[in-house]
Amino acid sequence: MKIFRIAALALAAYLVLACSKKKGDDPTTPLPPEVEEVVYDESGCLYTSYNNLVMAGYQGWFAAEGDASQRGWYHYRNGNCGGFMPGCSAVDFWPDMQEYTQTYKSPFRFADGSDAMLYSPYDASSVDLHFKWMKDYGIDGVFMQRFVVEIKSSNPSGKRHFNQVLQNALAAARKYDRAISIMYDLSGCTPEDVAYVEQDWNELVSSFDLFNNKTHPTYVRHNKKPLVAIWGVGFNDNRKYSIANAAALIDKMKGPSKKVSVLLGVPYYWRSLGNDTEKSPALHDLVKKTDIVMPWAVGRYNNNNYANIAGAELAGDIAWCRNNNIGYVPLVFPGFSWGNLRNDPSLYNSIPRLKGEFLWKQVAGAKMSGAGSLYVAMFDEIDEGTAIYKCAREGELPLHGDMKFVGIEADLPSDHYLWLTGQAANWFHGQQGYSVQQPVR
Amino acid sequence: MNKIIIGIAALCLTLASCEKDNYDGPDSGLTGRFIDAESGQLVEQDIIRGTQIEIIEHGYDPVTPQYLIVKTDGTYENSMLFSNTYTVKPVRGNFINVEAQEVQITGRTTLDFTVTPYIRITNASITRSGDKVRATFNIEQNVINNVKKIGLYAHQDARVGEPMRQVAAEQQLNAVADPAHQYSLEIDVPSNSSVLKSGRAYYFRIGALIDVGEAKLNYAPAVKVDL
Repeated sequence: MKIFRIAALALAAYLVLACSKKKGDDPTTPLPPEVEEVVYDESGCLYTSYNNLVMAGYQGWFAAEGDASQRGWYHYRNGNCGGFMPGCSAVDFWPDMQEYTQTYKSPFRFADGSDAMLYSPYDASSVDLHFKWMKDYGIDGVFMQRFVVEIKSSNPSGKRHFNQVLQNALAAARKYDRAISIMYDLSGCTPEDVAYVEQDWNELVSSFDLFNNKTHPTYVRHNKKPLVAIWGVGFNDNRKYSIANAAALIDKMKGPSKKVSVLLGVPYYWRSLGNDTEKSPALHDLVKKTDIVMPWAVGRYNNNNYANIAGAELAGDIAWCRNNNIGYVPLVFPGFSWGNLRNDPSLYNSIPRLKGEFLWKQVAGAKMSGAGSLYVAMFDEIDEGTAIYKCAREGELPLHGDMKFVGIEADLPSDHYLWLTGQAANWFHGQQGYSVQQPVR
Repeated sequence: MNKIIIGIAALCLTLASCEKDNYDGPDSGLTGRFIDAESGQLVEQDIIRGTQIEIIEHGYDPVTPQYLIVKTDGTYENSMLFSNTYTVKPVRGNFINVEAQEVQITGRTTLDFTVTPYIRITNASITRSGDKVRATFNIEQNVINNVKKIGLYAHQDARVGEPMRQVAAEQQLNAVADPAHQYSLEIDVPSNSSVLKSGRAYYFRIGALIDVGEAKLNYAPAVKVDL
């Protein structure tokens, strides 16, 4: 019996010692070395914060048959109906082509029999024109969309395309003093693809010398670091990657020396984990590790129910971000139309633009709720019809077989949405005289 | 005899089971205030169908949330809680959403919420002139949603509000309120004489409802008027 007692005491003593060892009190265990936060030279940088900026998303994913990308009518074409021809396209809107210098004859014609031309962002001159417009209308700049499934190593032609468009854009951003940043879109990724972003990012940083304040004085900085956006985290639409995959990526991209600031693109109801948001508090933990959060609002409301839906969300989001010391950027969009992409005429103008009334309502709503900056979806997105750049007007569109193209309202100039976004930028820059009423030109 | 044995057995069982269930009763409580972040004033509430505080006790799965009610003046007190850690979140309120927080409740624990009310009713005045009780006020809204309606509510109980009123004068706004506009509402006393008896005192309170999901009305403090 006594032996048992001694054994028990010995065991207990061992357990106590073993436990205390695990707490890391052992003085021989070296502490991890303190990593100093990286400090960047921001002299000459024109955009050292996203605060007060109005930036748009830039798809740059189109290619024209005959351009140097050799990708055919990429993203103009619609594989579900056989390509790019009257009766079949991915795009609803048609770019206003008057100012482009490099154009390509499309398979479409106008009613008078003349050829309908298109541009390719693979050409530097076309991207240059877009950045010139940003400057002309006072829009701060754009986030270059980088779809990971398009740039991963198994897709060399995609990677070549997006790198060329980025090169064009970096040159134009510098020429016209426009803000530029990169936004990775994780849609369609596997966990491995998500992890690959780190490699792609490192390639971009070194091949374009992205953090060089002299070469790229308009690359957006935020919290003293270059800003990179990661879009598509926390959606519950059966994505193959998880919040944890995205968190691991962001940990690596920031690194112990906090190399970058991160904007995180999340579902609209991210704060309450409602609707299309994954019901996981891990999303909030991740948001708190980032610098800015941007909820995806496209398709979440229309002109009629905007205030009712967005009012409480904006106010709640802004309060949450203030309490957690995170930046907040609401999204605004001019309207939505994807009848051709979905091959369903009932989806033309599914969220009507109402001559800018809808866009301005969101601009005013964000401003009056206390937002400090905006993300505009999108500069050149004509597949889903959210583009703000110059598009052809109703009555001036090519014929489209038994389908149709959607135009800017006939009594508006083709640059109305560029102009209106510029007015939003003025307001967010602090210019007086704006209100809930759409400004009159 | 058998009956006596059964009786004794039942008594023993009862006593034994009493002893077995004899845990300590709830000895802790949660109390606090809803404070307007800007004005520092209490944020007035409805006593019935008003803002609630959802508390979820930790350590049980599944767990049924409990709901604490808030008093008209914007304070609350519940003294029947077990000591534990709780996740606490005000719900269905009349202020911009606040985050849930973890709170260790032991003894009389105080927890104030600093909130931004959806609507502030300012420059409120309730006066009786002749047969009318008239309210004038301004509306300051802190979200971009429409104001659904405004109302003047009367009840002989000081806890008067939209759900607890004997007489009401309401106006549907369904619009964003103009902060510069002076709104006015009135209740005619003689035409409500079956409810509003002369010679008695009643409480009158101005309320406004924002058009947000399950939001509750915002109020100015009730005013006692002798009729």
